[in-house]
Amino acid sequence: MANGSPLTGGPHLETGGTAFLSDLYHRFVGDYPKFFKMDTLGKLGFLAAELLLKIRSESLNAGEVPAPREDRGVVLFGRHSSLRADTHFQASIQDRGNFFPSPSVFVYTLPNVTAGEISIRRKYTGESAYFVLEAFDARIMARQLLACLQDEVTQSLLTGWVDCRDDEHYEAAVMMLEKSAAWTEDELAEQLNTMFNQLNN
Amino acid sequence: MEELILKLKEEIIEVLNLEDIKPEDIDNDAPLFGEGLGLDSIDALELIVLMEKNYGIKLQDPSKGKEIFKSINVMAEYITANRTK
Repeated sequence: MANGSPLTGGPHLETGGTAFLSDLYHRFVGDYPKFFKMDTLGKLGFLAAELLLKIRSESLNAGEVPAPREDRGVVLFGRHSSLRADTHFQASIQDRGNFFPSPSVFVYTLPNVTAGEISIRRKYTGESAYFVLEAFDARIMARQLLACLQDEVTQSLLTGWVDCRDDEHYEAAVMMLEKSAAWTEDELAEQLNTMFNQLNN
Repeated sequence: MEELILKLKEEIIEVLNLEDIKPEDIDNDAPLFGEGLGLDSIDALELIVLMEKNYGIKLQDPSKGKEIFKSINVMAEYITANRTK
């Protein structure tokens, strides 16, 4: 998905900004009120993960709490980091005469919270990280992901490009990377490129 | 007091982004944390900010928040007794 529009066929959804994300949430998740506390990057990553897991038949029933699993990590990449939350927070503390920093805005001024939100929802206790890159770079991503799979415990990584410049400009493309697939760096870089290029088609 | 309770509910819904909740959905005596609304520690900090910003009440000891934020009714009574705005 990108910039308030789905990229593949499916039911009609609200387009534009955060309304699109809210509509996706109501249609495909609907039982996680904490969603509305997240910043736009957090909502984007959360929804991308939930939709991916739905496709993989790993949806949660309403109210279901999954069993913790340490064999799965969440490793995301993006360019704009938590810029949207940063600017939102800065704007909220500009007025010295009305200076009341918001904890719930401040808590999202780090992009790795996005990976954390996915891990909290799904009880993943493996690796959790968000890497900020100057631009999408499949080679760097492949190298990092293969490094994350080196330990004996990690068996899979929920990964991909999850990037948010502002409420109107965002994109996400995610995949599940299985250790058992035994990717080489070249193969994985090619797969990541294929995944990312779908955003621009 | 009823007017304050309604105002408080609306403020809480707004600052805590409780998007799917209306004031009438919040029981005045239900716990705000744990069960009930299921608020968390970040929400507690937001409520402390709300108290100061909207009612001029500065909590010198944030750990007292657990008693003050027990329910909407307890919160409203505390605000009534201590507000400076």
